[in-house]
Amino acid sequence: MVVIKHIKAVGRFVSGHLKANQPKGKPQATASPALQALTVAALALPGLMLPAASAAEEDEVDFQYSHYEEGQRDLYGAKSTLHPIQVDSVLGKARVSLSDRIKFAFNYVQDTWSGATPYTTSPLAAGGNEPIRQNTASGKTIVTGASPITETQMYLSKNFVPVAFDTNTGKRLLRTLQPVHVLAMASPETRKQGDFKLGYEWDEAALNIGGGLSVEPDYVSSFGNMGGRLDFNQKLTTLDFGLSYTNSDTSAIMDHDAEPYVIKTAFAQQIQQTGGLSIIHGNRQDWAGSLGLSQILNKNAVVTANIGYTHSTGYMNNPYKAVTIIFADPTSLGSDPSHPQALVGDVKTFLEQRPNERNQFTTGSRYIQHIGFADAALHLDYRFFHDDWGINAHTFEADWVQPIASTWTVTPKIRYYTQDAANFYYPYIISKQAFSKTVITGYDANDLPITTTTAYNPNKLPANFSSDQRLSAFGALSGGVTINKKLSKAISLEAGFEYYTHAGSLKLGGGGDGSYSDFNYYLVNGGLNINLDALGGGGGHDGHHHDGHHAQPPAGVMFGHMLKKTNDIMVGYRYMYSRQAGDMLHGTGVASDKQIQNHGCVQGFTGYCRVTPAYMDMGMHMLDIMYAPADWLNLMVMPQFMDMDMDMRPLKGVTVNPIQDHLHGGHRTGGIGDTGMYALFKMFDNDIHHVHATVGLSAPTGDVDIMIRRMHRKDNGYLHYGMQLGSGTWDFKPSLTYTGQLDDWSWGGQFSATTRMENHNGSGYALGDVFQTTAWGGYTLTRWLSASVRGIYTVQQQIDGQFNPVSGTDSLGNTVSNVNPGSKANYSSGPMDYPTSYGGRYWDVGFGLNFTVPSGTLKGNNVGVEWLQPVQDNVNGYQLQREGAFSATWSVMF
Amino acid sequence: MIAKQTQAAWIVIVSALGLSACAPVSPWQRGTLAKSSMAIEPTPMQTMLSEHTHNSREAASANSSASGGGCGCY
Repeated sequence: MVVIKHIKAVGRFVSGHLKANQPKGKPQATASPALQALTVAALALPGLMLPAASAAEEDEVDFQYSHYEEGQRDLYGAKSTLHPIQVDSVLGKARVSLSDRIKFAFNYVQDTWSGATPYTTSPLAAGGNEPIRQNTASGKTIVTGASPITETQMYLSKNFVPVAFDTNTGKRLLRTLQPVHVLAMASPETRKQGDFKLGYEWDEAALNIGGGLSVEPDYVSSFGNMGGRLDFNQKLTTLDFGLSYTNSDTSAIMDHDAEPYVIKTAFAQQIQQTGGLSIIHGNRQDWAGSLGLSQILNKNAVVTANIGYTHSTGYMNNPYKAVTIIFADPTSLGSDPSHPQALVGDVKTFLEQRPNERNQFTTGSRYIQHIGFADAALHLDYRFFHDDWGINAHTFEADWVQPIASTWTVTPKIRYYTQDAANFYYPYIISKQAFSKTVITGYDANDLPITTTTAYNPNKLPANFSSDQRLSAFGALSGGVTINKKLSKAISLEAGFEYYTHAGSLKLGGGGDGSYSDFNYYLVNGGLNINLDALGGGGGHDGHHHDGHHAQPPAGVMFGHMLKKTNDIMVGYRYMYSRQAGDMLHGTGVASDKQIQNHGCVQGFTGYCRVTPAYMDMGMHMLDIMYAPADWLNLMVMPQFMDMDMDMRPLKGVTVNPIQDHLHGGHRTGGIGDTGMYALFKMFDNDIHHVHATVGLSAPTGDVDIMIRRMHRKDNGYLHYGMQLGSGTWDFKPSLTYTGQLDDWSWGGQFSATTRMENHNGSGYALGDVFQTTAWGGYTLTRWLSASVRGIYTVQQQIDGQFNPVSGTDSLGNTVSNVNPGSKANYSSGPMDYPTSYGGRYWDVGFGLNFTVPSGTLKGNNVGVEWLQPVQDNVNGYQLQREGAFSATWSVMF
Repeated sequence: MIAKQTQAAWIVIVSALGLSACAPVSPWQRGTLAKSSMAIEPTPMQTMLSEHTHNSREAASANSSASGGGCGCY
């Protein structure tokens, strides 16, 4: 391994240097731990330029969770009840040495976001955020929110300044150019990205190639890159270079609320009409190159400098952003007799039109200085950005990295960013022409007028336009802190916080966008780092490794083994994926659409189902942290991160009502799930047999109040039970596990249960209790590989209770007491909206493999996979057939 | 104004590079430089996250090497 080589090289040097002061004959290998640490650390330096490259020196695994949330936007009096954008992300990173010189790194990122975001910007006088009014029982009308209005008429003064009049008194209320965002709601969406890097290292150089894929329902991006590093000048100087290519495809289903009102003629060639949906397609390609230099200035300072260039072509629009254009015909003055001094303008929205080419240049420098009296490091960073869209941007950043008491590091950070607007950025556009004009050009023989209608002249509009505030002139100030705590040589925890404020007034040199676009956000994150080198590197903890021959239970079995020694720690990661698709079942048989329609939704307003699930995917990421305070007791905590995806289809024989039935693109949810806390008690243990009991609690940290967004001017209530992220109740989770092992054979069995400790959760229901029995047998094929077969029987009861009624407005603006699926106001429903169509009795067979790394730095790492094949489903009510489930685990013991 | 800013940017960078004409630092003098606080990226996980977030809210991309990141269309 290259690091070792470096250590040896310098180790020799250090020992040689010290020899004069040391007794003769002292072996070189026994340099003091402090010196060893010093030299090891000194050698972490090569590859200064790319953070990834320098960090790639060590084998490690990282997990991180983060939460991003924006503050409310100022809508100038309009009341918005929409929750601003929030994003939940998980990130997993692994970096391992495949050989001394070959390094492999893999990253996985998953983001789920939802919330309200600016759709367009219009003059305040145009009333873009229309109040949602509810008529209360007492006859009063109250405003409960705001709904976006993007096609209307408005008044302007003779000088083209937007004005608004009181509809009752005719008095002028507003005369201002003031813009305001028009907000629209984004339903939950999930993005998943996997990427890798493979590198080869020489003593004074490195070369790597990488690639990856990022997938969202409407945007798929694949990329490849290569890069390298050259050290010279006795490693005082490092040169880095990189080259990359990205190819991205957009295929965005246009929002069905906005779609009828937005003008998209510029994209006519790219829009495909399928089943009443408009899907906009686009392709984009990016080429990028970068060059960096880092230089050790003296024993306390380092400087880096880099330049980069990116060339992008193709579809670079955001398909969910529109520009408001007000067509104000000067000849319309007085056309409304009630306001003879006003022009009448047509308010229209157009899909944004960005240029299809962009060239970006970046250059930057970083200076790092050690501050002796505090043993801290000051990092100063500056970046300049320029592109041919007219944007120049500057970023200044300062970090103070302060180690405290050898195991803590506290890093406060401050950052300032400022940018100019793109030359095609407009909050909104006022075009001095009619949107459409009909004139009488003559009279026919019967004296009837002959008319000609002329549309607006597109040449009088700018060639490109966008109201995306990311392209506006603004400044941003942010600050935060990162706290890192080393728990042991191998494990450290990190937590971070950042607060960010975006404001036009913060732009360097003034001239920024108005305060209407100001917003702020915060970002919190927590992470776990496991240094595999420190683990396998023989830090003197001999006898610490668990026995590589010890059989692992199949990957899908939870709480399948215990840590044997006091103070042992295990960190693991567990992934589970399951899919339901294919036939709808009732009991053990296939249900016809007619049966589902007539019997699946009997309690609803209509008494019959209109839709049924087409598929449902569920993914769970779990972190598995286990500690043994005594050899008979293990404590375990298991946070979870979920993502779900479900689509519906109309039942045969139902006439689809596009306002009622949401059948397209499906629904996605994601975020933190419930958190489990467990205690495992050893009951019996000898060379062959082992029995332990587990008692656990599951805390309701997952959301159970996810609703479908407001569409077609009406509220839609809760999203299906199965799409909520947790149980919502405190759950009791006991289990009893037996495992056995003799020579190459291993076997085991487990009984486990999940019972709800509350009658209903905050949303009015409780999931059914679950009881599961499983038994397995395994055989060790080689020192590092074993295989298993398992049988599983599961019983889950149906849901108890039901969603609380949600009051809202129907399409006429009337308040109704319930807008949940199946109600009178929202009568489209399917079996997945009914508690009786949850739970059942299931038989599965599992086939698993376990790999244990027998030697090397990764010794003791265990990876398991298991596929569960459904054998029989006996479902309550009407449910989709299960296609199977996949489990994967990774764990390492300390 | 923009030209001035660009100029200023270059001055900062060129002078930073100019500083690199420096005394040699022998390997055994690099102990301080090797401290984790002196790493070019002292908080890589947090930085990755912050950059991803800034990229989705600002026009200037932080780096020019392809690392994915998705559409950020919200």
